[in-house]
Amino acid sequence: MASRPLDSRNRRTGIIALLAAVAMLGMGYAAVPLYRLFCQVTGFGGTTQRATDGQAASAAEIARSAGTRTISVRFDANTTRDVPWDFRPLQVTDTVAIGERDMAVFVAKNNSDVPVTGSATFNVTPVQTGAYFNKIQCFCFTEQTLQPGQEVRMPVIYYVDPKILDDENARDVEQITLSYTFHKLEKQGS
Amino acid sequence: MATTADTFQAHHEEHHHDADHKPGFFARWFMSTNHKDIGTLYLIFAIMAGIIGGAISGIMRQELAQPGIQVLGSVAAWLNGGTVDMDQALHTWNVLITAHGLIMVFFMVMPAMIGGFGNWFVPLMIGAPDMAFPRMNNISFWLTAAGFVSLMASTFVPGGTGLGAGTGWTVYAPLSTSGSPGPAVDFAIFSLHLAGAASIMGAINFITTIFNMRAPGMTLHKMPLFVWSVLVTAFLLLLALPVLAAAITMLLTDRNFGTTFFDQAGGGDPVLYQHLFWFFGHPEVYIMILPGFGMVSQIVATFSRKPVFGYLGMAYAMVAIGVVGFVVWAHHMYTVGMNVNTKMYFTAATMVIAVPTGIKIFSWIATMWGGSLEFKSPMVWSLGFIFLFTVGGVTGVVLANGGIDDNLHDTYYVVAHFHYVLSMGAVFALFAGFYYWFPKMSGKMHSEFLAHLHFWVFFVGVNIIFFPMHFLGMNGMPRRYPDYTPAFSYWNEIATVGYWIMAGSMLIFFANLIYAFVAGRKAAPNYWGEGATTLEWSLTSPPPYHQFETLPVIEEHHDYHDHIADSPAKA
Amino acid sequence: MLTDTESVRQMNFGDIARKRLSFLGILLAALALSAAPQGALAQATGELDAQAENVADPAVPEPATAEPTVTEAAPGADAYTPLGPEWIKGRPTAPSEDMLASISFQEQYSDDGQFALWMHDAILIPMITVTSLLVLGLLLWVIARFNRRRNPVPSKTSHNTLIEIIWTVVPVLILVIIAVPSITLLSRQYKSAPEDALTVKVTGYQWYWGYSYPDNGGFEVISNMLDDEAALSRGEPAQLAVDNRMVVPVGVPIRIQTTGADVIHSFAVPSLWFKIDSVPGRINERVMTINEPGIYYGQCSELCGARHAYMPIAIEAVPMARFNAWLRSQGGTPKGEGAPQGAAPALAPQEPESAVEGAPGAGEAPEAGTPEVTPAAGNPA
Repeated sequence: MASRPLDSRNRRTGIIALLAAVAMLGMGYAAVPLYRLFCQVTGFGGTTQRATDGQAASAAEIARSAGTRTISVRFDANTTRDVPWDFRPLQVTDTVAIGERDMAVFVAKNNSDVPVTGSATFNVTPVQTGAYFNKIQCFCFTEQTLQPGQEVRMPVIYYVDPKILDDENARDVEQITLSYTFHKLEKQGS
Repeated sequence: MATTADTFQAHHEEHHHDADHKPGFFARWFMSTNHKDIGTLYLIFAIMAGIIGGAISGIMRQELAQPGIQVLGSVAAWLNGGTVDMDQALHTWNVLITAHGLIMVFFMVMPAMIGGFGNWFVPLMIGAPDMAFPRMNNISFWLTAAGFVSLMASTFVPGGTGLGAGTGWTVYAPLSTSGSPGPAVDFAIFSLHLAGAASIMGAINFITTIFNMRAPGMTLHKMPLFVWSVLVTAFLLLLALPVLAAAITMLLTDRNFGTTFFDQAGGGDPVLYQHLFWFFGHPEVYIMILPGFGMVSQIVATFSRKPVFGYLGMAYAMVAIGVVGFVVWAHHMYTVGMNVNTKMYFTAATMVIAVPTGIKIFSWIATMWGGSLEFKSPMVWSLGFIFLFTVGGVTGVVLANGGIDDNLHDTYYVVAHFHYVLSMGAVFALFAGFYYWFPKMSGKMHSEFLAHLHFWVFFVGVNIIFFPMHFLGMNGMPRRYPDYTPAFSYWNEIATVGYWIMAGSMLIFFANLIYAFVAGRKAAPNYWGEGATTLEWSLTSPPPYHQFETLPVIEEHHDYHDHIADSPAKA
Repeated sequence: MLTDTESVRQMNFGDIARKRLSFLGILLAALALSAAPQGALAQATGELDAQAENVADPAVPEPATAEPTVTEAAPGADAYTPLGPEWIKGRPTAPSEDMLASISFQEQYSDDGQFALWMHDAILIPMITVTSLLVLGLLLWVIARFNRRRNPVPSKTSHNTLIEIIWTVVPVLILVIIAVPSITLLSRQYKSAPEDALTVKVTGYQWYWGYSYPDNGGFEVISNMLDDEAALSRGEPAQLAVDNRMVVPVGVPIRIQTTGADVIHSFAVPSLWFKIDSVPGRINERVMTINEPGIYYGQCSELCGARHAYMPIAIEAVPMARFNAWLRSQGGTPKGEGAPQGAAPALAPQEPESAVEGAPGAGEAPEAGTPEVTPAAGNPA
């Protein structure tokens, strides 16, 4: 260990330590995409899943062959304070068969006299059902722009994965709430 | 028995002139590369920051002495230089709690423990002439000082509702982003950047010094426990602070450059900020207490005249605390809306920390068991530390339970808990270390009478402040409140009385400092006697400006604690 | 200079509270008028007392002191009046009233709360007391026995494997013992709500709460703190009393869903062992079941800006019939009555008042210059 002069050993140790610090700094930033990915994959925090038509069809098939029960779904709509919209679900609750796809409609109306662009964040509760709540099509996948006074109906096509019945933490859930919040995008409409 | 102490003491005599050659005042104190001078600068800085942070808590306690808003209006008017409305006055409250937290954590405890005692005694204890990167050491100190200036400056610029950053020391988004327009929060964040960069550099310095510059024969397993504690702390700093740096940089760009890391409008998540903050924040609390563990270990061994009981267990308990400290962060976020399995995991992981902590407490007692205890002031402070840290630790076990925390989260119970482990844990350790080493650093003996008096008054004061906070918290008083329903007034009033007792004890402390410098006896090299066995006691008090130019040799058969057992240094 | 803080404060908060009140008062008056015909469906007033007694969980013994009865019910069939101060149950206790109660948790009015309180009092408190006293006792013993006078020659013992194993294993066992009820408590708290549970959506605003009832017409009640004078005149504690309480039925599970409109808030009620953060952009959900009718106070528990300390929570738990009467007084519809839920899409939240209610900014920017209205929510006549 004493074969090299102290200065060069110090420099070496110091650089290794510095690299460790830089790596942790990188980890801090990497946490942003990793956390998003983690939430998307595991449904952590009630993050819903995205599914294709094919996946939906196979889930429905599995459900039919297994003979699953129904589940209640509640719809919840919010806007942040800077979004001058009236935003609500057309229907507060719905009962769907687990595995079968269903459509929910939300209504948004721009009450202001300027066009407003918003994007929606979403989660489901109880949070452990996030991994089983699949959206095939959703207005939240894209930005929405509403002209002054415009009212739109926005659909969500979703299904509840039959695997929910195999999860001991989610199996007993009787009602899943799907919640959306519209945020204003800082983009000028005109 | 031939001892190492003889050799380098003799050596020191030979080179007396070189060793004591000091640069001029400006070069010495502003461009210092000497670990002892930098340590002194850190200690002076920490004491000054402590006075400011302590004064802020005085304003807070005075405001909380009774329901209603009494003093905030005047404080806010002073800050604003004119009339304020109620919201500005209330915003000032948030500025005070933020400043108190940040000052005490980043500019008092950390600089004192790591910058002050770490700089002073790590090289001395391992037989090194200085730190590995002396210039970087100097940069660390001045960055810390600049960070403090930035934090102070934040108080006088707009921060949303009023002047100053009112986000709490946790700086949670979105209150700290969209909720706090104005430059104050930017200044506060920048202050954390500077202090964080300083600490990362300090950590690199300590790691390199401890790994490469130990005297021949001083293996890792012979290092004094204080050095072990600083080593573990340095690793925690190195791995935790960059995560904070990343998180607050993202806050800064969210605030100023339109990024949306924590802004949901652009696909971010404010809860992620909490995860990142506490991934740093939990190791941070061990950063603040581990060096204290190290100091208490040295002191308890010294005044028991016994080697530390279970040395290896003590060292690796600190390592274990450090490692487990990285995987328990979300217990600070139990109410954020996590699923049941996550909460169960964090409950279990958090409770595990009680085991190595228990090992340390019982090992300190076992060190004293069979010893020949002498109740000098550092020992008395250490005994106070052990008991009060235990009290703070057991309430930590209560809070670890995610289900119980649903009621206690963000109440005064939490405030009581972390002040028992920090304001009484870390600060008692700081005072223990201060009285232990002050004569070594200054060459002057303090008054043991005043040090004991300081202890007793401080002990009574802080317990009167913080014990009733357990009651307030259980009864439902949320933290970060400047005002409360009258049912809470009784215990708040008592806590405020405790504050003034504590403040009185600090006058005793400063009187003691003045006494030592004006009339203190000259300190012998080893003024604590045969129990004090680490290398710093083989040097004069104060040590020569440059020490160990020829490295001391630690002999194979010696444990670190009896290197100089027969040293003539006492003579 | 701010010379008289107290008066500024009164002005400031009082002002806001009054403005909001007047705004809501007018609204409520309108709603009550429109809901009047439905009143005929309501239970006779006399039955309310009996119901209150019934629903009060039979498992919970009546307190020795005379339980207050609902006596102040207004005449008329459509009888909802806010509970009076004699119904205050969940609140902090001053030492002058009861020293013991002032140094411990608030009395618990939910099953989970009672379980948690039991766990704290029966397991955690003894454990932490014994541990602290053990350490204190050992310290005092070594101080007394191993001081320099009594023990001038120190031993050199620095290892004892057996004792080290003991003080590692025993804490582990204690922690395992604690973990059992701890995990039980968590799984109880996380039990999901039954499908038919009443849903209350709690929104944290800077700096007040909004409670909306999506199953009952989707109206939102805005709840502001009362200033000290108004609170005291109603016999309620200062800093905790609000103008419009969150009214819920007693004895049935309530699905609390919460979100923040601007920054993070936290919805906390100590006497129900309930606390959950209101995070903007997402909802959090937890079940709350209140065992007894009464008023339960809580406070925002996540730093949310200047008036963080001035957005208390007051829950009023009443028997179902009375709750339904309250719903009607707000222009809402009791579940399974009037507008059917779920099946009939277009009907759900559409009542004339929807223009104002449910809007996220409701309560923000109250109309200036509206005349003052006596703060008697739900009793506009």
